[in-house]
Amino acid sequence: MRDRLTAAMTASHLMVAVLVVAGIIFAAIGAATGTVFYLRLATEALIFAGLALSVDILLGYNGLLSLGQALYFGLGAYVSGVVLKLVPSFWAAMGATLVAALVVGIVGGIIANRVRGVYFALITFGMAQVISKVVYNTRALGASDGLIGIPIVPVDLGFITIQSNSAAGFFLVTLAVIVILYAVTAYLLDTPFGRVLIALKANDRRVPFLGYAPLPHRLAAYVLAAVIAALSGALYPMLRGFVSPELLFFATSGNAVITVVLGGIGTLVGALYGSILLTVLKSVIGTWTEHHLIVIGVLFMAAVIFLPKGIVGLVRPALSRLVRGEAGK
Amino acid sequence: MNAVDYLQFVLAPQIVNGLAIGVAVVLVALGLTIIFGLLDVINMAHGEFYAVGAYLALALGAVGIDFWLLLVLVPLLMLPLGYVVERGLIQRVFNTPDRHVSTLLLTFGLALVLEDVLKVIFGPNTQRPPTPIKGAIDMFGIFLPTYRLFLIVFGLAVIAAVALIVYRTRLGAMVRAAAFDRDMAGSMGVPVTHVYAGAFAFGIALAGLAGVLLAPIYSVFPTMGRDFILMAFTVVIVGGMGSIAGVVVAGLVLTQIQAIASLYISPVWTDPIVFGIMVAVLMVRPQGLFGRIGHA
Repeated sequence: MRDRLTAAMTASHLMVAVLVVAGIIFAAIGAATGTVFYLRLATEALIFAGLALSVDILLGYNGLLSLGQALYFGLGAYVSGVVLKLVPSFWAAMGATLVAALVVGIVGGIIANRVRGVYFALITFGMAQVISKVVYNTRALGASDGLIGIPIVPVDLGFITIQSNSAAGFFLVTLAVIVILYAVTAYLLDTPFGRVLIALKANDRRVPFLGYAPLPHRLAAYVLAAVIAALSGALYPMLRGFVSPELLFFATSGNAVITVVLGGIGTLVGALYGSILLTVLKSVIGTWTEHHLIVIGVLFMAAVIFLPKGIVGLVRPALSRLVRGEAGK
Repeated sequence: MNAVDYLQFVLAPQIVNGLAIGVAVVLVALGLTIIFGLLDVINMAHGEFYAVGAYLALALGAVGIDFWLLLVLVPLLMLPLGYVVERGLIQRVFNTPDRHVSTLLLTFGLALVLEDVLKVIFGPNTQRPPTPIKGAIDMFGIFLPTYRLFLIVFGLAVIAAVALIVYRTRLGAMVRAAAFDRDMAGSMGVPVTHVYAGAFAFGIALAGLAGVLLAPIYSVFPTMGRDFILMAFTVVIVGGMGSIAGVVVAGLVLTQIQAIASLYISPVWTDPIVFGIMVAVLMVRPQGLFGRIGHA
């Protein structure tokens, strides 16, 4: 069955496929010419795309704006950093992050989902502030210096082992992780579970009358977002070799929100394209002026007013019609 | 050190300093709560408007305008700025279904732009205007800076004046009516669009006034709004979004908790305590301690 929502999701998949092909070509060119800087920048853009993806799960499918998603991103980065300093194993770091994100996500979700609307935005903001201040003042986690001296990690994929200091290799690993996170998210949100979330966003008083309990669905979406953010964050120390407490700050959460709004709320793929756009904008504008926030702020406000579906909203409806047209034949 | 000395030299000055900060926080939070109570808008750019007020005071003070004149002039200059922002930006997304989210996002973008504009004009460095009232007063054997005492008295007077305007004047009645039921107020002849823009401008002017008052104490720098706005948001949430009485009570209590707690534990840990209170209040009583404008 291809209804409108599934067609839109298929259109998103096509856009991700384009991104993957472009990414592989980019990695090949980068590896051939040895341009480490751009590969590292692109890897970072993908990692932050994962964070933006988690914001879009909440904002696009739940109608809940999280101003504290950096909490889970930072959690992932710190857990991964601590584990990697003990055992330099990719899978151990990802596994530990997954468990930590599930636990913290359930606790945070129970707290945050007591409220809705603007209060949700403020409570997530408050929780992230509390945790970031605590981490910033905890000597054992490096306080304001963050965690430093994280070793180079071998990523053992069974058939091949990629070292995290290989720019092109680790870019491809990150691309794979983010695409898997996207695929899991997109799959789950296209199931009846996702439809209940969309229904809750549209009218949360009516949904209980249809026999669905709102809270378990909300909580599940919140935990899913927490896990996605944390697993993306877990890649950060492997890329940079350190964890900065700034990853927990409001600026990180705010950037993720900007990314989603520019890319397109509720499109999932918008988080990926938005992150790439934002990274390109920052480095291009950064070459002439350090005041890139003016440009990004103005673009962001323009997107809020004029482009409620972001840049993906310019392309996807046409693509979506194409998909539906094919199905009609 | 015996108990009386402790009270006189440690506790009392800390309480008075906390009170000065509390009054300033209440001034900023009042604007936030009026804007939320009337327009349902979380103004993420409020801290930046506070910074704009402080920079205006700095710039105008540098060309020789007297501090006492600035106390009137800066809020008056902020009024048209607030009016234009409300009419030109907020109203554009005001009637969308996700009003809370889209106005919050819009003001967040505005905050980014304003902060960087301040950096471009005034540079990233910290500047400090001269203290308008120098010296200190010896009160009951407690030694207190005169300017902080002035700040407390003046701030309390402004807060009282705001409460009087909102609850005892015809203008305030129009604002409360528009907050309670926009369409009904409109059909009774309240110019709703002007009331909305005017209330937004009024909130911005209060933030600007707080900027003028606090510039001599905290210095002026482009990101000064960020740290301060966290506290103001906390106060607004704990007090009850849209409640004037709530802001005053929560503002004074929370800053006292912060001031007194910092005597016993490292000051860096007082922020988590205050935010922890905010999260706890949001969990147990999301509407805050008091009701909102027009609803109480």
